[in-house]
Amino acid sequence: MKLYEHEALGSIFKKYKIPVPRYVFSAEMNDAVRQFVDKEPGVVIKSMVLVGKRGKAGAVKVVSDKSQVEKVFSDLATREVYGERSIGALVEEKLDIEKEFYLSVTYSTKDRAPAIIFSEHGGMDVEEIDPKLIHTYIVSDVRSVYPYQIRQFLAGIGFSDKELLRPLSEVIVNVYNAFWGSESRLLEINPLVVARSGDKRKIVAADAVVILDDDASVNPAVVYGARSAQGRPLTQREQDAILIDQGDHRGKAGSYVELDGDIAMMTFGGGGSTVTAETAIEAGLRIANLTDIGGNPPAEKMYRISRIILSKPGLKGVLVCGGTASNTRIDVTLGEGLAKALDDMNAEGKLDKNLVWVVRRSGPEYVKGLKMLHECFVRNGIRGEIYDSQLPITEAPIRLKELLIKLVGYKPEEVV
Amino acid sequence: MKGTVYLNDKTGIVVIGATGREASQVIKESETLYPGIIKAGITPGKGGSSELPVPVFDTLKEAVSDPKVGKLLNTALIYVPPVSVLDAVMECLDNGIKVLYIITEHVPIRDSEVIYQEKVRRGAIIVGGTSLGCFVPSVGRIGAIGGKDPTVAFRDGGIVVISKSGGLTVTTAEMFKRRGWGTYMALAIGGDIISNTTYADVLQEIKGDPRVKGVVMLGEPGGSYEEQVAGLIMSGGFDKPVAAFISGRFQERMPEGVAFGHAGAIVERGMGKATDKIARLEAAGKKYPVKVAFYYHDLVKTIESLGVPRDFEDSTTEHVKPLYSTF
Repeated sequence: MKLYEHEALGSIFKKYKIPVPRYVFSAEMNDAVRQFVDKEPGVVIKSMVLVGKRGKAGAVKVVSDKSQVEKVFSDLATREVYGERSIGALVEEKLDIEKEFYLSVTYSTKDRAPAIIFSEHGGMDVEEIDPKLIHTYIVSDVRSVYPYQIRQFLAGIGFSDKELLRPLSEVIVNVYNAFWGSESRLLEINPLVVARSGDKRKIVAADAVVILDDDASVNPAVVYGARSAQGRPLTQREQDAILIDQGDHRGKAGSYVELDGDIAMMTFGGGGSTVTAETAIEAGLRIANLTDIGGNPPAEKMYRISRIILSKPGLKGVLVCGGTASNTRIDVTLGEGLAKALDDMNAEGKLDKNLVWVVRRSGPEYVKGLKMLHECFVRNGIRGEIYDSQLPITEAPIRLKELLIKLVGYKPEEVV
Repeated sequence: MKGTVYLNDKTGIVVIGATGREASQVIKESETLYPGIIKAGITPGKGGSSELPVPVFDTLKEAVSDPKVGKLLNTALIYVPPVSVLDAVMECLDNGIKVLYIITEHVPIRDSEVIYQEKVRRGAIIVGGTSLGCFVPSVGRIGAIGGKDPTVAFRDGGIVVISKSGGLTVTTAEMFKRRGWGTYMALAIGGDIISNTTYADVLQEIKGDPRVKGVVMLGEPGGSYEEQVAGLIMSGGFDKPVAAFISGRFQERMPEGVAFGHAGAIVERGMGKATDKIARLEAAGKKYPVKVAFYYHDLVKTIESLGVPRDFEDSTTEHVKPLYSTF
């Protein structure tokens, strides 16, 4: 889960003693912002959004003429940046910048270890830095990370500013400790600046990108509030779905990402869901959601996610598709959970009988489970076909497309 | 030795977190299918319980010192909640268990990193997190892979299936079985960012095994483990036929940052994209017997075109009819 810059500064950078500019965050112009600005000779104002490359979008502005602050603030605090609405603005002291470095810590799957990535040529997008000027220090023993190791690394890459060796190595270790301690999967500072302060120089983090591990020992969604990975607020259905798995680790049914399409996807297993969604899109179906149900969830979880998936307006078809499950019980998930959801929705008058269904599933108790689902289809007047693993998994979405064209005149997307 | 380092005729399993819902079901199933392969279970506070068909101990130390089963234990199957996995792994390593399977999903990445570094230091084999286990039809199975009736998907043969996704491991074995290829070993390595056993690790373990006729590899976006296979093959580290399918090309057409599937299946910062992986493997395929299937169900033709011999007859029919239809 990605944090807003002010959250990263306030909760993580402060705790791990990473030097940052003086700052204030606010959703709207208020006295705290005015008082802050009064004390600074100049300020930098940034839109608070999760999306990157804010500078290029004009969402970071240096303001030296104080009469302009109110205007710039109210623009940046509310504007849309690459389609994402800003939740407020961060106002920071304007630094007297001498140099800009790039620094990040993330996991390298090549080394299967944390990697500290450093360049003396920061300030621009990391993709734009010459790869030869980017250097990586692999933390091959996470039990001991000391500044001397970082100094050896910096000396080894020909770091030119000897006066900074000690303070920079200490800041880098603090940044690594922040990454490790906060259970991040990415902590990026670009730029990490060398700023003049009177006749002294100091190292300051002029930006903060933190992506926390969603599986961290303390769930970040509980600490910071749930948010969509798409950089937009969660829809009501997405919020409802998250609640399904909270406090109950028996199976997983709460992953739900809402999309614009008209084909409800009730798909199972990480890999199975991906290949099914992929083939559906290749076949020209406009999928209404992504989901990934697995790990043998109890009927109650399946009931809840079924109702959420089917509640999206404008659906035309439903694909219930999974491979040959090893431990997810088909009688429990489809025969009980899904069937009860359909029974209840029908009783409440919320079930659309025009939907076209294709079901393809196998696994423990699938004979019983598919029979129970068929009986449910019959008693609720649901139109569909039910397959077991005779039908290769990726042919199920193709079959749904054929039925949709034949029965409701569905117009598939042209896929390039 | 019959089998592989991951599962063989000497394998004796101890289940950590044995009395939980999923683990106890797996133990009961395994006892029916492959009696005796699971030797003991551990659940603190449940030592001496008779609720399972295997003896239950409070601590692993007690189990390994037990005069009856102690000496037979060499493989651990971990089913504890995510935050307890690191503790369970350390308990296993400190008590001399050298092959571990982590079935638990959502292990914190930081814990996975600590586990990986300990594994390297101690020379252990750890599969997972998020593994579904291992199946070697000529020997038996570890974990829930293949469910109650594994004969639906598994029959002895020469194909090795390696997949991040547990579900697809079985689904793929079944697709091949219907078309005449049996499984030598199916291993669900899990899709975690820090994977203790990668595709390349497995290929290096099995490269000299004459029973391996071909490898089916199922990859996903995220990380670089699929790319590492291309690197291994290009350096001459594995020369048997490899048919690969990499899912997730469609994610590249979606808004950046859409997370889907396993924790590792996240496209971030332009690294580890499906198309990157496909390109690397296809490049290796110019000189070595490696091919990437465009559609998942094309894997069968791919293995056939690589010249991997069938183990038995193709049993498919022309047109598949639905089990039920309400039209």
